[in-house]
Amino acid sequence: MQLQRALVTGASSGIGRAIAVEFATRGIDVVLVARDEARLKELGDELAARHGIDAEVLAADLTLPDGLGRVEQRIADLPVVDCVVNNAGWGPYGNLAGSDAATEADCVQLNVTALTRLSQVAAQTFNVRRHGAILNVSSLSAFQPFPGHATYAATKAFVNSLTESLHEELLGTGVHVTALCPGYTRTEFHARADWDTGGVPAAAWGRADDVARAGVDGVLANRAIVIPGAANRVLGNLSRVLPSTVSRKVTKLLATRGDRH
Amino acid sequence: MSKYRRALVTGASSGIGTEIAREYAKRGVDVVLVARREDRLKVLADELVDEFGVDAEVFVADLTTEEGRLMTEQRLVAEQKPVDVLVNNAGMVVDEELADSDPEVRILEVELNVVAVTRLATCAASTFKARGRGGILNVSSVTAFWPVPGNATYAAGKAYVLSLSESMHVELDGTGVAVTAVCPGFTRTEIFDRGGVDVSNVPSPMWLDAHDVARAAVDGLESNDAVVTPGSLWQAMRMASRLTPPPLARRMTPAIKRLSGQ
Repeated sequence: MQLQRALVTGASSGIGRAIAVEFATRGIDVVLVARDEARLKELGDELAARHGIDAEVLAADLTLPDGLGRVEQRIADLPVVDCVVNNAGWGPYGNLAGSDAATEADCVQLNVTALTRLSQVAAQTFNVRRHGAILNVSSLSAFQPFPGHATYAATKAFVNSLTESLHEELLGTGVHVTALCPGYTRTEFHARADWDTGGVPAAAWGRADDVARAGVDGVLANRAIVIPGAANRVLGNLSRVLPSTVSRKVTKLLATRGDRH
Repeated sequence: MSKYRRALVTGASSGIGTEIAREYAKRGVDVVLVARREDRLKVLADELVDEFGVDAEVFVADLTTEEGRLMTEQRLVAEQKPVDVLVNNAGMVVDEELADSDPEVRILEVELNVVAVTRLATCAASTFKARGRGGILNVSSVTAFWPVPGNATYAAGKAYVLSLSESMHVELDGTGVAVTAVCPGFTRTEIFDRGGVDVSNVPSPMWLDAHDVARAAVDGLESNDAVVTPGSLWQAMRMASRLTPPPLARRMTPAIKRLSGQ
């Protein structure tokens, strides 16, 4: 499959940025979406200069109807976008009881509602053209519940299920659909959400550029689920087979270890 | 009998919701019946009052709207006639491939199956934890266990509910608040007709009775089971799905729908 132009949400940092870089390295044009216009412009200029590609900046807040609407429109619009990377995502930290309902709702709006809408527009548009690719960034936490990160893990379970169904629905249409499920990855993500990751062993951390490469390779090969890193693949498959009573306890242990300063 | 006193049941006007409300009433628990259709709630409330002598409150709310969710949250935290069980049952299904479906309907499905469930569960968790007692029963589905092409957002919403519910079960461990997810398979209710899902080919051993599902769910919450899968056939399928390679698991539900007849 040869792609022309990839729209990447949450492109200003972390895995989103790394995925945009990965596409640019492969000579594919990019549409960079995030809230921070200045950071996007800087990245766009850098990618255009270094890789000779076209880099478009689209500043939008996907938790707002207006922002979401403009990105939907861009996907269906010209010049042709033939790959959508739903990467923007965020998760609050702390138990649901006592949490702020509006914060949990923001997480659902971004990770579930925006992702569903953009996946749908992309599916519709690409299906008509019989060509395109959808890469949804999920997480290893899609595979088991995660006390302390209940809403985040649930949104990622949503993303995996949706993506796998969509992969199957679009099989044979020329549209590739992939869920990318990274484990702990060194980005701004945890600091932004005040996740304390002090309890996570150094060996468990992955690099954003490795995750990005695995994701882009995966969607080009139309793999339904991509788990970057051998240790993460073992964990992901283990949690499928382990009784949920055990996997719930393990993730609780991880979450509470992270609690300690 | 039950350790609870008053259960608020969403989607109480039909199907599993009605049966859960009836099951609680039968056990002497007062009920708050939440749904959009007032006439049907009134009929059910009268029936439960007459038959079981419980207090049955009719509470009209549309949980796809912000107004409906706020009203229901206010009822959950009210100190007058306090609610000590939340049954997150209201749900809908869209039966169409994502590329062919109406985005607005799809979002309505997410608003009800995901957003409303999260809002009410969060509100109940905070309220019940502060009181040191209560129960939250989240109605998920066996479609939480494997993806379902053709019902992508429905299955994803149910995977969301199961994951959320299991995390909450652990988070609230030892607080006096029980959290249970019930994952029924095909259950004879209106949901298929309303969603336009053709289930005429589903073989009869796969069907569950809404009353049996309700009883298993209510029993599950009484003993604070994290996950209840009613029916031994579906329990076996749940276990099998864990050992099934994902590509096969993805094709399971479409295969069941096609099983006979074609």
